[in-house]
Amino acid sequence: MASTDLRAEFLALSAALTGFSVFRLEGTGQTDAYLTTIGDIVGEATVDALVSVHRGLVDATGGDEAELQRGLRRELLSDAKLGPVARNLVKLWYVGTWYELPAAWRDTFGPSLRDRTFVVSPEAYTEGLLWPAVGANPAGAKPFGYGMWAKPPRIDTV
Amino acid sequence: MTEERNDRFEVSPEAASSIAYDVAVVGSGVSGALIAKELSGRGLRVLVIEAGPSHDLTVAEYETSLRRFYGAASKDNNAPYAANANAPMPRSTDTTKLRPGEPNADGYLVQLGPLELDSTYTRVLGGTSRHWEGKALRMLPDDFALRSRFGRAADWPLGYDDLEPYYRRAEFELGVAGEVEEQDFAGLRFAPDYVYPMHGMPRSHLDRVIADDLDGLEVARDGETFALSVRGTPQARNGVPNAAYDGGRGYRPVGAVSLHQAELGERCQGNTNCTPICPVQAKYDARRTLFQALGTGRVDLLTQAVASEVHVDPASGRVTAIDYQAYADPASAEHVTGTVRADVFVLAGNAVENARLMLASGLTGSSGLVGRNLMDHAYLLTWALMPEPVGALRGPLCTSGIEDLRTGAFRRQHAAFRFGIHNDGWGWATGSPYGDLEELVDRRNTFGPALRRALVQQISRQVLMAGMIEVLPDESNRVTVDPRYRDRLGNPRPVVSFGVPPYTLEAAAFARRLSRRLYQRLGAEDHTAYHPAEPGWVSYQGEGYVLRGGNHWAGTHVMGTSPRASVVDADQRSWDHPNLFLAGAGSMASIGTSNTTLTLAALCLRSADTIAKDLETAAAPVTATAGGAGA
Amino acid sequence: MSLHPITDVAGLHRHLEAAIQLEHATIPPYLTALYSIRPGTNSAALQVLRAVAVEEMLHLTLSANILNAVGGSPDLTVPGFVPAFPAYLPDGETDFEVGLRRFSTEAIDTFLKIERPAPADGESIRTVERPPRPTMLGAGKVADDSEEHFYSIGEFYRAIEDGLIRLEAEHGPELFAGDPRRQITPEFYYSGGGEIIPVTDLTSARAAIRLIAEQGEGDGGAIFDYEDEIAHYYRFQQLVLGRYYQAGDVAGSPSGLPVDVDWGAVYPIKTNARVSDYPEGSELRRAAEAFNRDYAGFLALLTGAFQGEPARLNDAMGDMFRLKDLAGQLMRQPLDAAGMEHAAPTFEV
Repeated sequence: MASTDLRAEFLALSAALTGFSVFRLEGTGQTDAYLTTIGDIVGEATVDALVSVHRGLVDATGGDEAELQRGLRRELLSDAKLGPVARNLVKLWYVGTWYELPAAWRDTFGPSLRDRTFVVSPEAYTEGLLWPAVGANPAGAKPFGYGMWAKPPRIDTV
Repeated sequence: MTEERNDRFEVSPEAASSIAYDVAVVGSGVSGALIAKELSGRGLRVLVIEAGPSHDLTVAEYETSLRRFYGAASKDNNAPYAANANAPMPRSTDTTKLRPGEPNADGYLVQLGPLELDSTYTRVLGGTSRHWEGKALRMLPDDFALRSRFGRAADWPLGYDDLEPYYRRAEFELGVAGEVEEQDFAGLRFAPDYVYPMHGMPRSHLDRVIADDLDGLEVARDGETFALSVRGTPQARNGVPNAAYDGGRGYRPVGAVSLHQAELGERCQGNTNCTPICPVQAKYDARRTLFQALGTGRVDLLTQAVASEVHVDPASGRVTAIDYQAYADPASAEHVTGTVRADVFVLAGNAVENARLMLASGLTGSSGLVGRNLMDHAYLLTWALMPEPVGALRGPLCTSGIEDLRTGAFRRQHAAFRFGIHNDGWGWATGSPYGDLEELVDRRNTFGPALRRALVQQISRQVLMAGMIEVLPDESNRVTVDPRYRDRLGNPRPVVSFGVPPYTLEAAAFARRLSRRLYQRLGAEDHTAYHPAEPGWVSYQGEGYVLRGGNHWAGTHVMGTSPRASVVDADQRSWDHPNLFLAGAGSMASIGTSNTTLTLAALCLRSADTIAKDLETAAAPVTATAGGAGA
Repeated sequence: MSLHPITDVAGLHRHLEAAIQLEHATIPPYLTALYSIRPGTNSAALQVLRAVAVEEMLHLTLSANILNAVGGSPDLTVPGFVPAFPAYLPDGETDFEVGLRRFSTEAIDTFLKIERPAPADGESIRTVERPPRPTMLGAGKVADDSEEHFYSIGEFYRAIEDGLIRLEAEHGPELFAGDPRRQITPEFYYSGGGEIIPVTDLTSARAAIRLIAEQGEGDGGAIFDYEDEIAHYYRFQQLVLGRYYQAGDVAGSPSGLPVDVDWGAVYPIKTNARVSDYPEGSELRRAAEAFNRDYAGFLALLTGAFQGEPARLNDAMGDMFRLKDLAGQLMRQPLDAAGMEHAAPTFEV
């Protein structure tokens, strides 16, 4: 496991970006795999930068959710280096796939050998949060049971 | 890595060459497995030759395929199965836009066009049933008589009523869930009091919402009026057994294949992954039948053996032997060549592989039709967003369809078609839900709770209606071989030429117009869009469409009443080679608007009866050879 | 007084209610071990545990069918129906505790004790009286200071079978006067491991009991039952001995394909976790409470299914899949910074 602080901060950042709680993210069992994946590809310094921007925003906005969202847009998602990584982190939690970074990012910040589109592991797919977000299950995993498809979907409201 | 053989029923290449079999079957898919089961059940000694490995006779091995699928970045219909250069298979991801005069030889198939076909098949134990969806539609009585009813194509050498008893047997072997009452359209007839082995799959919530608005919609065509209705789709998937089946004796669903005890798969759980791989094995695939065949003790299985040449006695026309290349390691081209001898030979590869093997052996047929009349269904996909979330991505891929336009007087002018209503969203057409996620995150700059809400609106409302359009036999649509294109073992690869005529395109245009009307009636946002840069794009009367393949390869050894105009007779027996049967959808004289599997299963059960009769009347005391482990 | 032999219909009902409770009591321990296995590992163990858990559901349903057939009314919502784990099960010559623990050799040892075969002679039904334990089996209570335990689950069912035979001789077919519409039939029930048997008379009741007894422990120690199913006891033994049984094997010496077990590929869940172990106000605690509420809802659905609405069984199966996912989420929550111990569902209903 990564250092306790980094792990917790990574989860807090991920929760803010994905709209899923830390409990739900941990419930996928993928925290360590994703932290490792992202660190291996973009470097630990970039991961540190991601979580520290988020930490700074949390401290500065004092629980004001709208302000935090604004800060994430201004300082993280629109940052030339951190923005594409943050978006990749969102997709990682949602479908378990690391997407190759945009060519411009690779040109500017240096390519990594591991930076290609791949599914982190079979479990990363089956634990993807996209499906529960829309009241479905990942195809081929986690059934609803015979005939349950005849009922209207159960979708958690956020 | 060298694959170990399971000595309970697998033979070594050396042993296979030394045994005189009653019947040798090339291919372990639905056709081959059914014929092997039927004939071994009657005491005959059968060899089944499979090009792929013997994987997946245990649940643990099956799970390896499942996990390969989970971990694959491209979840196409061959994603669960390991690439194997000794028995390569087409992948839909190989399909690219063709430029005139430039074949696409990137994948296993060499595509000449003009239409780029993204159809595939699977060369593993159980064949393409390992990724089929499981729709088990009978062909319509009209489909067997296109010439006499509509002046199109050719009539079959047999009619619906000839095949009906075999449809019933096929529905038993495949374990079909459906409701006969819902199949009262287009002259489809069932035996009195017949019920399917299992009750129909429950309709999805989406089906119900759609039926509420569409049922009763009247469509006028060529002087006839068709009232549309949403009907359950019979499918080879385990559901609730029908207590009234078999005169009240009922039906016991057959679950997962396993060499040791594993109770699994006796009922669909709604994993929404019929294609390519049902995680619980509630969907029928040919391993089930093969496993039953192996259980007779009279079937030997020779895997990792690619049939490479059919030998014929020039005087009698009889097949004397089939050569195969047996490899120990899929990662290496190293192999030994062996020869199998039998009284009767059955080619049960599929329409493409059967033709490829015949042509590679120089057997073009006295009609010259081997490899010609290649057919597949042309799929026109249409997609929309329903007004409210309907729970897309739940349930078997399709539980209902619209069948009312599968025949009518209009077939003089244009092809018949049906719509399948998809429970799995837009995936087939757009790459959803991945594409939707990419769009929302990367371009619409959505994140956090807003992203979750946007995904619900974008995905849970999805509906896709797939128009499955008939393509008639046409001699210029064909599979050939060309010595310039070979696979790693040196076998010629299939070279495919395929195009669709105005007869099909007119139906595509009509289906598109009708889909617009359906979405208007549903109040759904029609998002259907076809781009000229996509493979399968065709222009017809000023409008563009994208046609996709259905993996329903057929017609390359059509059946008929004369050796001059067909390759096999109604029993699938080669006109030129009396002890050779070319089995499967390749024998179909036309394919109507039914997925080919149920019909080819019925044809193969019929052929098995013929083969058994042949061998019973032959001089050789065949039952004496039925030693095997079971005796 | 002793409950054995069963001499009146009330006693029969009490024993059958106890049977339902007993069959259910094994399900949380089996599910806990099953769900604790890390995805993608231990395929063999997964299959064994899943098959056994599914068959316990079948046994529960068969017991409910018998109880309904003789005019009783299964109720899985009565207070105390779900034992507080660790619990003592009322079978076994010597006491043993059944707890909620991760897949481990200790867990399998306990499961082997639960499924221990009855002696082959089939005649004697041995019971032992003990001072009361915090056990859950109401029918075991014979006096304030004593409980009656059967040596094995097989002997418990044999006592029920004896009672059925005795009472049927006494009352005739009237014994089976329950509403046949309450029977769970194959239409409503699916799983591997044997058909559901609707019970309408002594013959079908005895068939149901035979299926339960043989699937559990084997018939007098036989590895395979009359349906060629491997008894639970031997299924579990395969995991310890590292090989599958195949036809012709003798007990203790399986000779089939090897069984690979990775005892380490398991979430390190807390044994017999309780909601009170989780911080007040935490999402973990809310999720554990939600799991228990949903589990109670599942038992209520089953009760509805057994009390005249058999179609609700299908909804209950849907609930099981959802509960499995919730259990998985709980089991991935580290309870300490180092992740040495994880949370688990507590089954406190």
